[in-house]
Amino acid sequence: MNEVSLPAARPDGDGPLDGVEPAAGVEPSGGAVPPPRVPRQAGAGPDAAAPRGPGATELLGRAVDAFTGRVLGRHQAAVVRIGFGLVWLAHLLREWPNRRVLYGDRSPWSMELAERLLGDDGAFTVLTWFGGRFWFELVYHLAVLAALGVLLGWRTRASTVLFLVTVLSLQNRDVFLGDGGDNVVHLMAVYLVFTRCAEVWSLDARRARSGRGGRAGAVLWAVLGAVLAVCQFGGFSGTNLSWTGRTFPHLGWAPLFWGLWAVAGLWWVLGRLRPDGEPRAVLDALATMVHNCAMLVIAVEVVLIYATAGWYKVQGSRWQDGTALYYPLHLDYFTPWPGLSALVGSALLPVFLISYGTVMVQVAFPFTLLNRRVKNVLLAVMMLEHAGIAVVLGLPVFSLAMIAADAVFLPTGALLRLAAWASRLAARASRIRTGRIRRRPAP
Amino acid sequence: MTETTDRPARGRAWSKPAQLVLGLAGAALIGVTGLFLAAVFLHVAPANSLSRQYRDEIDGVVYPEFEQNWKLFAPNPLQQNVSVDAQVRTVAPGGATTAREWTGLTARDIAAIRGNPAPSHVDQNLLRRAWDFYDGSHNPQDETPVGSRGKLAEQYLKRIALQRIGREADGERVLEIRFRVTTATVPAPSWSGETAPPAPKVRELPWWPVADEDYRGLLG
Repeated sequence: MNEVSLPAARPDGDGPLDGVEPAAGVEPSGGAVPPPRVPRQAGAGPDAAAPRGPGATELLGRAVDAFTGRVLGRHQAAVVRIGFGLVWLAHLLREWPNRRVLYGDRSPWSMELAERLLGDDGAFTVLTWFGGRFWFELVYHLAVLAALGVLLGWRTRASTVLFLVTVLSLQNRDVFLGDGGDNVVHLMAVYLVFTRCAEVWSLDARRARSGRGGRAGAVLWAVLGAVLAVCQFGGFSGTNLSWTGRTFPHLGWAPLFWGLWAVAGLWWVLGRLRPDGEPRAVLDALATMVHNCAMLVIAVEVVLIYATAGWYKVQGSRWQDGTALYYPLHLDYFTPWPGLSALVGSALLPVFLISYGTVMVQVAFPFTLLNRRVKNVLLAVMMLEHAGIAVVLGLPVFSLAMIAADAVFLPTGALLRLAAWASRLAARASRIRTGRIRRRPAP
Repeated sequence: MTETTDRPARGRAWSKPAQLVLGLAGAALIGVTGLFLAAVFLHVAPANSLSRQYRDEIDGVVYPEFEQNWKLFAPNPLQQNVSVDAQVRTVAPGGATTAREWTGLTARDIAAIRGNPAPSHVDQNLLRRAWDFYDGSHNPQDETPVGSRGKLAEQYLKRIALQRIGREADGERVLEIRFRVTTATVPAPSWSGETAPPAPKVRELPWWPVADEDYRGLLG
């Protein structure tokens, strides 16, 4: 194993935190440069260790090393995974009583209407493969399990693929149902598949640390392969699992699913036969490269969301005259608490400041990424604003999704502190539970 | 997925074939990522010379799964409250028809949202967005559908209302349905000094026939 060269745990820590990987990988002995554009790996030691003025060739070499060999933003990836797993799980559970009307056999957007639209745009959904209630219920509850798997990081690559399939299937069943939150979940469900988002704070990471392999992976792989084969060749999946697409870029979904399945199998076989061999190392480097590209896509996506929102607002007369905030507070569909909304929109100055502040923050955000401290302040402001939107406008799912997406830019140090705090809290909770039997824990 | 992965590349001397594979894959990945991000950027940017030139390619990448709509409150926030009401005409066994009271469909949504910390998509999005869909696919003057999706929007709106109203009223079967949509502009805040907005605009849709198959799957 390659891990022997690194300390297994932080010597100065509180002991191994559950699910928190020591920051070993963050502090490469070679003093690598911070990765470009992706959140900086804080929690690292003093940067003074880095040699001054490396040549261009060396910089390029380091960039290549980082790109091929380092899982950039692993904590951020984990937080995004946990966030979106949680958001979609919460949505599915909240809508559980309404599921048949929203996505199922009782939907006003009848299967017939859906099929006519899908025939037009070719969006992916498995729900049209069979009519009736049983298939729908199966998919919906599979979606719940997939969200749970993503949240916990259980067999994460498989869970994220299932997450992708179920999110797209439900949302594309009726595309006139979603709002911005659904849109973000939809995009992230695709991007997450390509990340190594379970390196920390996941059941997978815990299992890897304990060294127990477990048979579940191989069984899951075989089962998923069989299911995929049945769907592919069963003659009921229509054009959903085609190899090519009608329009540019002419790619269907089959190459992705089969490709992931084949790579997972190859990965396992090589791990068994030649765990230290070069082919496995090449696969590992490829997976890391894909992850790094996916993280870049997620980061740019978040920037684009804010940038477009901001740049288009600049052109709006209501944002210019400083009253924009007032209007959503008086829309019937977005005022679950009319008294609160009226209060927030009651005076000139706060309405003006929040309206102008929102535009400024959104327009400025992409550029603040160049400065760590300013970026963090703006990030906190935006998260708070979304928390406010969750309550005042009655859009908790949308707001949570945006906060989860924002998390890709959170500094690693803050994430580690949060994790340490959460783990202390959990430890205390379990002590309180067992405390009735043993009042004083052994030192 | 299972192991941490900082190590292999660091300090590993790759063989020539491995270098080739990694080099090609890296170049391809960076290329694909760059092109994808460019397509998404051009999709959200205002229509411009570049996006017009490559419109088919951009649409091919972005639709149907990577569509983005981040302009909810831009350039201006929505400033109108739209209320959808529906009225049905029922027929008695003897053949006499009765126009029933208007049902405030939006009013019911609002009632369900009030005081609810987590409003359901059923109340917050279903009817609201179905009306947007109808509005976007119909000529407001004579209610004729524009494009191939207009008919789908009519059917959708009708079925949403029928699900909420039911098959019968006072034991009489529903024969026809029509909609009345009131659009009220939110008045500007008191400190703005703007004049009061015009009176709410009412738009009436024609009677649409209701058949048994319109109810397919709607009622349990």
